[in-house]
Amino acid sequence: MPAFISPLLVLSACGIVFGLGLLAKGMAGQRRAARIGDTATSRISAVAVGEARISGVVEPAELLLTSPLQSRACVYYRARVSESAGRSERTILREERAVGFRVRDSSGDVRVFPRGAHWLVPPAFDASTGLLGDEPVGLSLRAGGAIEPSILDRDTQVAALLTVHRPSDQPGSVAGLLDGGPAGLALAGRREYEEARIEPGDVVTIVGMIQPFDQLPDPAGADAATGDGLDPSGAIGDPEIAADLAEARAQGVLEADPAEAWGNAAIPGFGIGRPVRAPELDPAASPLPAATVAEADRFARTFDIEPETLIVAAAADVGLLVSLGAPGAVVAREESRFLVGLLGAILAIVSAVALATSLSGLVVFP
Amino acid sequence: MIPLTAAAAFAVVVVGAITLFIILATYNDVVALGQRVDKAWANIDVALKQRHDELPNLVGAVRDVMAFEADVLEQVTRLRNAYDPGRPVPEQGALSAETSQAIRSLLAVVENYPALRSQSNVASLQAEIERLEEVIAGRRELYNDQVYRFNTRIGQVPAILLTPLFGWQPRDFFAATDADRGRPDVSLSAT
Repeated sequence: MPAFISPLLVLSACGIVFGLGLLAKGMAGQRRAARIGDTATSRISAVAVGEARISGVVEPAELLLTSPLQSRACVYYRARVSESAGRSERTILREERAVGFRVRDSSGDVRVFPRGAHWLVPPAFDASTGLLGDEPVGLSLRAGGAIEPSILDRDTQVAALLTVHRPSDQPGSVAGLLDGGPAGLALAGRREYEEARIEPGDVVTIVGMIQPFDQLPDPAGADAATGDGLDPSGAIGDPEIAADLAEARAQGVLEADPAEAWGNAAIPGFGIGRPVRAPELDPAASPLPAATVAEADRFARTFDIEPETLIVAAAADVGLLVSLGAPGAVVAREESRFLVGLLGAILAIVSAVALATSLSGLVVFP
Repeated sequence: MIPLTAAAAFAVVVVGAITLFIILATYNDVVALGQRVDKAWANIDVALKQRHDELPNLVGAVRDVMAFEADVLEQVTRLRNAYDPGRPVPEQGALSAETSQAIRSLLAVVENYPALRSQSNVASLQAEIERLEEVIAGRRELYNDQVYRFNTRIGQVPAILLTPLFGWQPRDFFAATDADRGRPDVSLSAT
């Protein structure tokens, strides 16, 4: 370090940058708090199309996630594992994932499509390894896949409970990664674990666009069912793609109908072992029990969404904000960020004065 | 520029930026709150209009059978005809509450006519009117909550300092009537 750069100089410069960073984050938090706090909560049964705030309890839709660090069933998680040894630090795992879910209040429920959402979820698990390298209490690394169906019959649940999985034999397993397995990384220093998640039963506050389901843009940019995103004549605009599709059809690789392409898998409920109608099975295969009328209704409600059904999603000009907790708690949390930001501004000013003092030589350090 | 002057200028810039942020954020928040109040009212108006359109169908479907309940039908019809979206919000709120009360009376009377209840068109009209009543009640709550937030904001610092500049005025609530606030006549004694 050159002689004219004193520790105070470095600390002051860092203080300015850090303080301004806190101020910027605080201002962003204040804007989020205003957006949430200034919008009244709509009853789900009376909600109208447009930007709205809803608050209620999370219920799963088709799928559930398994969180990587505590193996909890959830609809959203954000996990990070970092390792530090000496002055070096590296991130071993950084993962964020969400699936669609429902929110229920006293008047009804509405489905949430979380694509493009901004999540305000504080960590539910924040721990690090002990002095002797022992793992923190509560750490239960995911041994299986990250996604599981939310509708499971009793036999499937019993089978899942009794099945022993090797930590690293399934895609999505993080146990093998962190245990130093074949693809793993041996423990070289202190590890820090952080996981934030939203579980079924949690209270959430959501500000987003209420819109009919059929107005939700297809994530892939084209909806095969409605033809949105395709040429109005039904033709594929891109000649290369059109040629590929024609070739695939000529070779018999591409079917025109889902039932032709997927066979029994196109029957609703087949994938979870409760088809709504009898599948065509090999005579030697064990027949699947058909779903009851009540189950078929439940599956239809889960998987088939009527075009006019109102849902919550992000829109081009209205972002989707999903936050854990009741509205008052969320607003208080975000407003506290602004107070921290003001403290950051004070820190930046004090640091600037210290820097100026140091540069003008008013303070002499040994 | 000597370092201390630069530090002072930096402090002034930071404080000025925070002040400007608070002013702009407050102005934008109050404007957005006003828009939300207008939108909440527009959503109530949509539901009131739907109810206004549905009521003649229900009255027409039950009129012949309920010849002896002419006063109930006339009251619903009179209140329905009094609907005017151009009236001030408090007056519309009072009229809407009165209409809801009359509709509740009508639906209660319909329950006394099994022949009517068994007609599918009457049942579906009844269900639709009840749904609209629920929607109006839900949106009235939302509107009042939004007005409360607007009125509170413009009465608090820092927005109150900007109020004379921009002429923000408190909005009216979609209030309930005295009849709504009255206690129901319930007797626990055996009759």
